[in-house]
Amino acid sequence: MTVFDVMYRSLIFIVILFIITKILGKKHISQLSLFEYITGITLGDIAGEVIMSKDMHIMHGITGLLVFSAVSYFSDYLTLKNRKLREIIEGKDTIIIQDGKILEEGLKKEKYSVEDLESLLRDKGIFKVKDVEYALLEPKGKLSVLLKKENQPLTAKDLGLNMPNEKEPQTVIMDGQIVYEALRKSGKNLEWLKTELEKLGTTIDQVFFAQIDTYGELSADLYQDQISIPNQNERQLLLAVIKRTQAELEMLSLQTEEPETQKIYSLNADKMKAIQIKIEPYLRE
Amino acid sequence: MLLENFIEIKKTLAAIKGIEAQLSILALNSSEEEAQIALHEAMIEAGQIKHDIQKTVYTLERNKKS
Repeated sequence: MTVFDVMYRSLIFIVILFIITKILGKKHISQLSLFEYITGITLGDIAGEVIMSKDMHIMHGITGLLVFSAVSYFSDYLTLKNRKLREIIEGKDTIIIQDGKILEEGLKKEKYSVEDLESLLRDKGIFKVKDVEYALLEPKGKLSVLLKKENQPLTAKDLGLNMPNEKEPQTVIMDGQIVYEALRKSGKNLEWLKTELEKLGTTIDQVFFAQIDTYGELSADLYQDQISIPNQNERQLLLAVIKRTQAELEMLSLQTEEPETQKIYSLNADKMKAIQIKIEPYLRE
Repeated sequence: MLLENFIEIKKTLAAIKGIEAQLSILALNSSEEEAQIALHEAMIEAGQIKHDIQKTVYTLERNKKS
């Protein structure tokens, strides 16, 4: 067995493993179920064994890999169709805590000690079992926890706040290269990008990274970190202008003596107030 | 009508025009439909306010000349 042997065996198995993992897909890399876990370990082990030992025939190794990946592939296919099969092959979750009470049978069945449970909970930042409403062990041995409502993080919904939805930001410049696809997705073009960068006081060749947000605002990171670019807050500025104008209209209505004109001013001041209330959620940062 | 007051109105009118334009730009630039609709509606309402104030300015100008 020479170094050269190891080299060419390694190269062969790198290519084969690469192809197999590409075919089996993302699900196998995440190793969600028992079966995928076994397959993952075995594939690596077979490849390693065949690369390092002379007595192993390369073809035998490849056969082993192909059988394992083929069975795994078909079990994926079958478990998609049948729920019963899915339970058998991929495993079932076990409830460990329900209604805030630890289920001892569940723990015993999975051979987890109370210390193991505590450790898994601590891993999620939970130190009091009392805070947990419901917890179950996933087939892969991970613990998933639902906290009691009072212990859950506060959301805007809990506070009854109306938060406008936001779309995913589009990265339009990456490594100094313009990503035309992202630019198209956000409905902008090169001219627009150039103008916006000009507003920020920079040019395309100086930008390392840039994103467009929901409101079409561009934020850029420059190659030169010493230069800071002005913070764009057009929306907050607009909100301020609306508030000021609304106040001015009210002021005018107070200063005017003619009742006709006064009415127009106060009416429009109210209208401006309505606009402000309506779009304030969209203008806040 | 005081001259000072008249300048004040003109300034406010200019600000309203600016708001309308800015709202229009924002509505066009937004990718979220809900925001687009709200901003567009706000733009139309700002346009109505602009119209009202514009008319008042015309009336005041006419009164001033006569």
